[in-house]
Amino acid sequence: MFKSQKNVFWQALVFTIIMIGLGVIFGILLENWRTSYVDKLYQQSEISLMDIKLQSDIYTAGLFNCKKAQEENLNFADRIYNESKILDRYETASELTDDIISTHKKYDILRANLLLNSIKIKQKCNSTYYDVVYLYQYNGASIETKAKQATFSKLLVQLKDQKGSDILLIPMAGDNDISSINLIEDLYNITDSQLPVVIINGKKKITNLETIDQLLKNFK
Amino acid sequence: MSILPIIYLAYMFVSLYMLALLLFIYVRNRKTIFDYPEAQKNYSVSFVVPAYNEGKTIEESLKHILEIEYDNILEIIVVNDCSTDDTQEVVERMMRKNKKIKLINNTINLGNAAGSQNVGLKLAKGEIIAVVDADSFPARDSIRKMVGFFDDPKVGAVTCPVLARNQDKFIEKMQALEYQTISFARKLLEYVDSIYVTPGPLALYRREAILGIGGFDESNLTQDIESTWHVAKNGWDRKMSLSTNVTSQVPSKWKVWALQRRRWNIGGIQCIKKYRKDIGKKGMLGMFIIPLFVIGLFWGMLGIGIFGYIFLSKVFSNILMTGYAIETGVPVVTMNQFFITPSILNYLGVALFLFELIFLLIMLSVLKNKIWKKENLLNIPVYLFVYMMVYPFLMVDSIWNYYRGKRKWR
Repeated sequence: MFKSQKNVFWQALVFTIIMIGLGVIFGILLENWRTSYVDKLYQQSEISLMDIKLQSDIYTAGLFNCKKAQEENLNFADRIYNESKILDRYETASELTDDIISTHKKYDILRANLLLNSIKIKQKCNSTYYDVVYLYQYNGASIETKAKQATFSKLLVQLKDQKGSDILLIPMAGDNDISSINLIEDLYNITDSQLPVVIINGKKKITNLETIDQLLKNFK
Repeated sequence: MSILPIIYLAYMFVSLYMLALLLFIYVRNRKTIFDYPEAQKNYSVSFVVPAYNEGKTIEESLKHILEIEYDNILEIIVVNDCSTDDTQEVVERMMRKNKKIKLINNTINLGNAAGSQNVGLKLAKGEIIAVVDADSFPARDSIRKMVGFFDDPKVGAVTCPVLARNQDKFIEKMQALEYQTISFARKLLEYVDSIYVTPGPLALYRREAILGIGGFDESNLTQDIESTWHVAKNGWDRKMSLSTNVTSQVPSKWKVWALQRRRWNIGGIQCIKKYRKDIGKKGMLGMFIIPLFVIGLFWGMLGIGIFGYIFLSKVFSNILMTGYAIETGVPVVTMNQFFITPSILNYLGVALFLFELIFLLIMLSVLKNKIWKKENLLNIPVYLFVYMMVYPFLMVDSIWNYYRGKRKWR
């Protein structure tokens, strides 16, 4: 009546392999879909930046409209800031693949490009807005650094809320091995161990947390 | 891909495998799961009831044994392990009414049930030895529906579902669900020769089988698991009758419950240690039962380690962030911190939970429970999400106590 049925061990094993396998495939597809979604956003942003840079070149040729150039640059910064929030969320949820990391790098390059464009515009237009570059640690940050970075992020969001279009906020990963960002770091004598660092208008370097009031003193 | 997702996937793999194994066995055998063989022989049965301070329950327990519908019960041997309550008086009063009851008073306190069971075992004359805890209450049809399995000469021990007798308090309801799950799973494991315990509330042993292992191991805190493994090692089959049951008094206080689980866990560790050389040897004991216990122990410890690391990291991180927020005057919590973007591991976790839920509902349905009664809507999720999650913590406590040498019954 009760014959042993040990072949069920193999059946359960095959079933589990199939189910977990399907789960992993679904996971890879989901993460790839998210990466390609962010990539699409990136492509649109890249086009916009190229357009802005072209505009700058046109301005250099003498057809100058500083107000429009500044406005475009600030709008663009806001746009990629919002896109980076989506990128961050998808990165946090990315468990199986690391394609999204290269998208993050592309965004960092885009932001470096934005910074250079902003410097160019400011030189031409004698602009009054502030460049606020936030260089943070992306790889292997300690708990303490992560906590510090989270607080810096909140501070900078508050700053942006208060100052609006008076500041151009450009957050970038400082340790992602991107030559242009490494050059910026060299320029301000920043090493990876010093991250996070905030640079205001290419002059003031902030490495320690400050209150919002202390931070605001840098923006007269 | 970092190491944590790999560990999570490994966890899911093992959990899903065990669930799939049990579900597959159930699907195959659902029509015969309650079957039991009618005995072809009128086996003589001796009951052995170890007792220590069981004055409150032993009368009821003995009444249940006396009411069992089986006509060849030779004797009911109560072994009183120097109780300090009225256990002896209660049993003596019952002895006057029924001659089958015999009382043995240990001269010294042996301090464990196994010792008293061994005293009873030496005196028992039956072909079948029925061990019953003094706080347990066998059903009237229990022996009739269990002894038939001994017609197969390879069967050395037979068990039945142990159900919670008291189910009023929340803790008791949780245990009621747990006991049913364990019983159901144990029955399913019978189909792959893997019954790993014949629990103390009611276990029948063939005389040769239990004497062949030299009785119960008095140094082990779960002598019922040890005896089952030993019987299995000696080549005896173990069977289970799902069509009857024994009810048992379950702990009503969390502290008592935790101490009981600690004892079970330490007993399990003792069994692993004693039988570690049998891992991988031919037969289900070495190929499945011991590895299952080892994996359970290892996974539990690893899980609690990872959980502890993640939890403490979060706590430390939140303390730092709160400190920094106060220092800089930014809000401690902002809306930006809250978003839901599930990872694939979250989806798989939910799928696994649903699979567990399905198994639990099938089990409740098979065991004729009213699944959809209002209290189950709360009890089942709490059982799966909270009650089961406490186990790894108890395991850590048990290992700690095991290495501190706290291996006493009482």
